[in-house]
Order: sequence, then structure tokens, then C-alpha cells
Amino acid sequence: MIFLRRQLPLLITLVTGLLFAAQYYVPHPASEQMLTSATKWLQIVGGFALILGVTSLFHQHAVKIRRQEAGWGYSLVLYVGMLGTIAVGLWTNGKESVEGTMTAFGWVYNYMMVPLQGTMFAILAFFIASAAYRSFRAKSREAAVLLVAAVIVMMGRVPLGEYLIPLSGDVSSWILNVLNSSVRRAILIGVSLGAVALSFKIIFGVERSYLGGGKE
Amino acid sequence: MSFSERMLKIDRRIIFLMIGLCTLLPLLYPVGLPIKISSEVRGVYDHIESLPERSVFLLSIDFDPASKPELYPQAIALLRHAFRKHLRVVTMTLWVSGTGMADQLVTQVAKEMGKEYGTDYAFLGWSPGGQAVIINMGQDLYSAFPSDYSGKSTKDLPVLDGVRSLKDVGYMVSLGAGRPGVEEWYVFGKDKYKFELGGGCTGVMAPGLYPLLRSGQINGLIGGLRGAAEYENLIGQKGKAVAGMDAQSATHLAIIALVIMCNLFYFSLRQQRG
Repeated sequence: MIFLRRQLPLLITLVTGLLFAAQYYVPHPASEQMLTSATKWLQIVGGFALILGVTSLFHQHAVKIRRQEAGWGYSLVLYVGMLGTIAVGLWTNGKESVEGTMTAFGWVYNYMMVPLQGTMFAILAFFIASAAYRSFRAKSREAAVLLVAAVIVMMGRVPLGEYLIPLSGDVSSWILNVLNSSVRRAILIGVSLGAVALSFKIIFGVERSYLGGGKE
Repeated sequence: MSFSERMLKIDRRIIFLMIGLCTLLPLLYPVGLPIKISSEVRGVYDHIESLPERSVFLLSIDFDPASKPELYPQAIALLRHAFRKHLRVVTMTLWVSGTGMADQLVTQVAKEMGKEYGTDYAFLGWSPGGQAVIINMGQDLYSAFPSDYSGKSTKDLPVLDGVRSLKDVGYMVSLGAGRPGVEEWYVFGKDKYKFELGGGCTGVMAPGLYPLLRSGQINGLIGGLRGAAEYENLIGQKGKAVAGMDAQSATHLAIIALVIMCNLFYFSLRQQRG
């Protein structure tokens, strides 16, 4: 049993990890065919992951409703919303319109999901303004630099800002292209090197937390 | 409680009202200030301009309705430009929640430009797997999308004649609101399959994509509503993005004013307390 639970997954990880790391550098048709097959599998696994995710969400909220935990009413709304959408989706074969006529599924999408998501995102503008007023203070030298840069970029990204202070557009562009790019690139390189190191640790079985049960 | 203290603890509903008015009034009474074209946006425009007729233009609509205000106008402007240039337009999405919106968007612009489905454009829909879809398309497009959104076999679509994988695409633009998006299209797509790539994203994501832009990994970037407005100006067909720029100008200036005020009150309070 230990072989099935521990050694076999480690062996699969080692073999596939090394194989696909090497695959990138081998343009042979057999190697390309292997990648095609593997990505097809990945797409199928991706489809099943969706089912797994929905099942897990259903289970989590069913527990909340059964125990009547705080906010269980929201879980009920989620249940009704999801089941209702799945039902109309199956009924209309997943089509939002048939020959130019909107289906029930299309109605749910256009008149519920689209405005709800749009509203959630739009509300951000109000909260950002309130949060900026309450917390964007030059409490230190670093905070002051951040504040000045933010003001310049905000001015330079809108026509009125460029109209009032013509230089703001060019300065904002310089901040984004030079300062921002170089710092982001440094972070990206650091993160990428970390990802390579972690991949090696996983491939060679040093990092095993993905197997569950912590380190042995 | 001093005046500064009272002002720092101002009711947030006043701020909400101020932002609401700054958004609403310019939409009702537009000013129409001139919009300067940036080199990032021009990069995408110039590349589409340079493509010969019937080249394949792949547009991945990688966003959902939450990002519609910023990315929808970008998609409309790009599609209008591509259709005007008589390119073969192939569209798809990596975001399942954006599928219906993407279908409506493509159908609407194609209808407006008098284009025929299957011959001039196609919508492949969504396929599960995120970045795996990109790799799969790089290997074999018909394996990633055996059928289009309406269920027709992709192999029978004349718009895809001569296209076997991403290597046969003339230009590709990903309009992304997150992951998978522009970065994934570079890492898993362009880097291996060597096609020309451009990007579009929400305003808040744009600074994160500048390293890709500066290194030439993407040849242009349309950032947020401003980017969409610039593109609308370039194609000479003003739309919702240009209309929204006055509102964005007013809200940006309102936030700057709020930040300056808050700092003035903060320093005044600090001085009072010694």
C-alpha cells in the first residue's frame, strides 16, 4: 500500500517531470506527438476538474445549510442560482439563443450574470476612492514617493490630466516603461527562479506536500 | 474633535456621492478632450494595418462580464479594424463565463461590417484546460477545437483554410482580465509556436504587462478604457471608450483631490498634536 500511496506517485512525477522538461528541447515528431496527446489529456482532466469543483462547492454549502451556520441564507441563494442555471442550461442545450431568439439560459446570462458581475466590478471604483482618502497618506518617505508616482500616473492616463499638466503624459509613460518595467522584471525573474527550484524539488521528491499528510 | 479630525473621518457616503457625480455628469455632458495616442496602442494598430488581406487574425476574448466596461470596447474596435482590413477573423475564449458575451460581441460586429460566418469569421467558443488549450492549439488547432461554438466541424470552416496550428496565425491578440490571459498566451503560445502577439487588458493589469512589452515579447498593449479610446481614435470610429474618457478624467481628478485633501488634514492634525 505504501508503494501505491507514496512511491508510485513520486515515480510518476519524476518520470513525467523529466520527460516533459526535456520535451521542450526536442523537436522530433514523436516528441511533438507526445505533447499533443498529453495536452489532450490535460483538457479532459480540466473538464473533470470543473465537475469536481462544482461538486465540492455544492457539498460545502449543503453542510452550511444543514447546520444553519451564519450566512446560510447566502448558501441557499447559491444553491437555487446554480441548480436553476444548470437546469435551464441543460433544457436549452447550453445555447443562449436559437435562430436569433434568446433562450432561458441566455436570459439568465444576459439579465442576471452580466449586470451582477458588472455591478460588483463597478462598485470597486467607489471603495477605491474611499480607501484612498482614508489610507493613502505620506506617513514615510517611501509612502510619499509612492503617492507622488500614483498622482502623476493617474494624471497622465486621462485626457484632462494631460490637458492641465501636458508633461504628465510623458512622465507617466516613463514611470510605466522604465521604473515599473525594471522592478516588475526583477520580481518576475525572482519568482521564475523560485518556480524552477520548486519544480526540481517536486520532480526529485524533496517536496512531497502535494501527496497530502505533510513531510515524511 | 478638531476640523482636521472631523474631515479625516468624513462619512464615506459623501465620497461615494462625489464619485457618482463625477462619473454621471461627464456622461450626460461630454467635453470631448483630445486623446493622445501611445506607442503601446499604436503597436497593435500598425501590425494589423501591415497584414495582407485574408491573413488569419486570432482574437482570444479572455474576460467575463465583470471587465466588460473596459475590454468590450477594445474588442469592438479591434474587430472593426480587422474586418475593415478583410482579415480572416478567428475568435475564441479561455474564460467559460465570457463565452455568451464573446459570441454576442463577435456576431454583433460581424453583422455591422457585413461579414459572413464561416467564410470571413468564426467563433470557436470555449474549451477546458486554460493553458493546455493554448499548447494544444499550438500542436493541432482541430484537436483543441474539433467543433466551433455552434457545433459545426472546424475542419469544414473555409475561414480556417490552410490553418493547422498557431504557427499559421498571422497575428494574435489576447484581451485578458486575468489568468489565463496575455501572459499565458506568451509563455505557452508565442514562445514555442512563434506567432506575433499583441495584448489588451484592464487598466489595473497594464503595469504588470509592461516588462513583456519592453522586451518585445508582445508587440503592443491596449491598456484599459484609455487604450480602447486610443484605438477607437486610430480607426476613426468613436464609441463607448471615447465617451467614457471624460468620466474617467473626472473620477481620476476627484481621487487625486481626495488624496491631497486627506494628506493636508493628516499633516495639519500631526502639527496640532506636536
